[in-house]
Amino acid sequence: MIELRNVTKKFGSFVAVDNISLKIEKGQFFGFLGPNGAGKTTTIKMMTGLYEPSGGQCLIDGHNIHSNSLPAKRSFGYVPDQPFLYEKLTGREFLYFVGGLFQLPPETIAQRTEEVMGRFELGGFIDKRAEEYSQGMRQRIVLSAALLHDPKVLIIDEPIVGLDPRSARLVKDTLKQKTREGLTVFMSTHLLEIVEELCDRIAIIKSGRIIHEEAQNEAKQFNGHLEEMFLELTK
Amino acid sequence: MRELLLVLNLKSASFLKGLLRLDARSLFKTLTSLLIFGGFAVGMFLLSRGVTTYLLDTAHIGSFLFHRFLSMLLYVFFVTVNVGNIIVCYATLYRSQEVDFLMSLPISHAKIFLIKFVDNFFYSSSTLALIGLAVLLGYGSYFNLPWYFYFFSVFFIFMPFMLIAGVVAVLTLMLLIKIATRVGVRLLLAVMVTVYVSVIYVYFRTTNPVQLVGEVMKHYPDVNAYFGYLDPPLVRYLPNHWVTEFLYWSVNGNVERAIPYFLLLMLSTVGLIVLAGLLARKYYYKTWLAASDAQAMKGMKRSSFRLRFLEFGSRPGVFHSFFLRSPQAEALFKRDFWMFFRDPSQWLHLLLMVVIILIFLSSIASFELHVGQPLMRTVSFLVVFLFNGFLIASVALRFVFPAVSLESDCFWCVRTAPVDLKKLYFHKLRYAFVLTLIVTEVLVVGSATFVGDDAFLLWVAGLCGACMAFTLTSMHLGAGSYFALYKEKNPIRVASSHGASLTFLGSMVYLGAITMILVVPLHQYFESRMFTAVGGTVWLYLPVVVIAVLSLLIACASTGVGLKSIRGDFK
Repeated sequence: MIELRNVTKKFGSFVAVDNISLKIEKGQFFGFLGPNGAGKTTTIKMMTGLYEPSGGQCLIDGHNIHSNSLPAKRSFGYVPDQPFLYEKLTGREFLYFVGGLFQLPPETIAQRTEEVMGRFELGGFIDKRAEEYSQGMRQRIVLSAALLHDPKVLIIDEPIVGLDPRSARLVKDTLKQKTREGLTVFMSTHLLEIVEELCDRIAIIKSGRIIHEEAQNEAKQFNGHLEEMFLELTK
Repeated sequence: MRELLLVLNLKSASFLKGLLRLDARSLFKTLTSLLIFGGFAVGMFLLSRGVTTYLLDTAHIGSFLFHRFLSMLLYVFFVTVNVGNIIVCYATLYRSQEVDFLMSLPISHAKIFLIKFVDNFFYSSSTLALIGLAVLLGYGSYFNLPWYFYFFSVFFIFMPFMLIAGVVAVLTLMLLIKIATRVGVRLLLAVMVTVYVSVIYVYFRTTNPVQLVGEVMKHYPDVNAYFGYLDPPLVRYLPNHWVTEFLYWSVNGNVERAIPYFLLLMLSTVGLIVLAGLLARKYYYKTWLAASDAQAMKGMKRSSFRLRFLEFGSRPGVFHSFFLRSPQAEALFKRDFWMFFRDPSQWLHLLLMVVIILIFLSSIASFELHVGQPLMRTVSFLVVFLFNGFLIASVALRFVFPAVSLESDCFWCVRTAPVDLKKLYFHKLRYAFVLTLIVTEVLVVGSATFVGDDAFLLWVAGLCGACMAFTLTSMHLGAGSYFALYKEKNPIRVASSHGASLTFLGSMVYLGAITMILVVPLHQYFESRMFTAVGGTVWLYLPVVVIAVLSLLIACASTGVGLKSIRGDFK
């Protein structure tokens, strides 16, 4: 469902992502770990079409995000690390706007807005302008927008940062449920307990290179203690 | 003082670092900037020297009258610097995240005020300073003035003059915010705009250049007879008058009479800076808090302005079937519409632009420009046409240039959605062009009608205006995409950024080129019209075609640059 083939990103002489390859199957929950500045966000930005790779290819649902971007973009939803919204639009307007960009009929947008309102408890603020929102509210609106068009793939950069425990629970439950329904999730995070709770497979990136890949064993656990392994590999 | 120098040092170091970056793109930007700024400065220098030479050697208006004209120009300059500073300083002194950060540090409020004032002054006045300096050099070169005159005039006359305009701007804004906390923003804005427009009107009413020439010429050749009652008392208290008095007495070799004006300028500058420091110590923090409160409460007040058919989720109607045929076009249009009309800095500026255009048209109506020799008619047609171009370029700079930057940090949601960026770009270009074209045609046709041009000239002006609107829109959108500032939330700051200044200068060069293309054929046309009632139209066919081709080439190049830039990495 997601495939990275020898992807490289250079900024001048600096190599931010160095020849990485990954393949993530349908319905898999993939955790992308790494220390600050390792190249996680750069990789995600290439996967979502925000950066053009200096080399290699990113395929989403079989479509190259750069040479055949529109079908690729129809198949995924994206939650960035910073949930920027249009300050002068309300949450509901933002959802209608995103729905329009994905060319959903107004009735579908209205119905799905009602759904996400219930799921993420947006009712109290969805008709206020984003300039009034807290970080957690923004995060929930952005996640709702990413799920609005019922994507096959969800690409999330740091989904839990800024959320209160209740909202974090809501997000985790939704992601679990959606993965069971066949959604493929690519998640970058620093929070190892989230990875242990949610992910089927992980990769650790350091200085732009993938230094470790691992899948859960039959007991639905990672081998060894994830925190110790992470610290050892990234030191 | 140490922390003040530290912050200012850091800012200048970061500015220089940005300027002296050695990668290809930055070098290209720096070189292009140097070329355009340098070219523009040289152009202004030559224009200033040419006009001075013409007025003093050909038209023989005399040194005194020449300096009165200069005083009026300096007044316009003063108002421009002043308004520029007022517009930008709310964003710089009250809404910048840097101020939030500095307020959390153990630095006095007066020092933060000073740091941000310097920031604001350089940000909003550097292009104007360049124009002023080039004009001063051109003026000085006519009189063969020595090098130390330029040095003295730049640092002790011109800079204090600009500083007075800048300090008055921030003082005005600080006091306005203070008053707004008591009387409310809307009432205050209404009073302020009325007062400002009245002051400018009164100034030009009392120092009307046409009236001035008429009065002086009544006493010609004994112009000195007019000296006694020429200056209205109010004018003598204005800094532009002090600058021209200093220049007048200096070029006439009477240093003793020039010195008091220098002292007046210096003392006023120092006095105003001290006053600003004292007021900042007392009011800056309070007004900053008031502005922050107002900002926080702004979202809580629901706007009563509603247009049901443009609301998100509204049922498709006639408007949709004509203009918003695809869901993407509808979503983008509605977003842009509501973002514009919910941001007071956008619609207030639009309103201000409309007022300026109306003032311009009513001024044109009061001049008798449709009579005279072919040369005078050519000059008056081109001056009006150029001024139209200048206004359209200003509209494009303020509203079209920031269009791509206004995608802001939130551009991620458009870039990751299945939106063809080419379509997005042309969506912006289409709406910007239609709106600019309407403004252009109102201006061009309105002014041509008031001036009394014939039907053929109306067509020529209309066609050239359409070319101008298309090119200026494409140029500003393309450059706005190339110099996009996605992190900058304030469109006013985007429109006064380095890239915006460069684009504006570029558009001035384009307007200059159009004028050059038109000048000879227009003169021929007016000459033919003098001798034959209907002849002469043939002179203008070719220039219109040349202007159309030139405009198309510039528009295509700008669109190419804009499209390439909008597809680039979104950082």
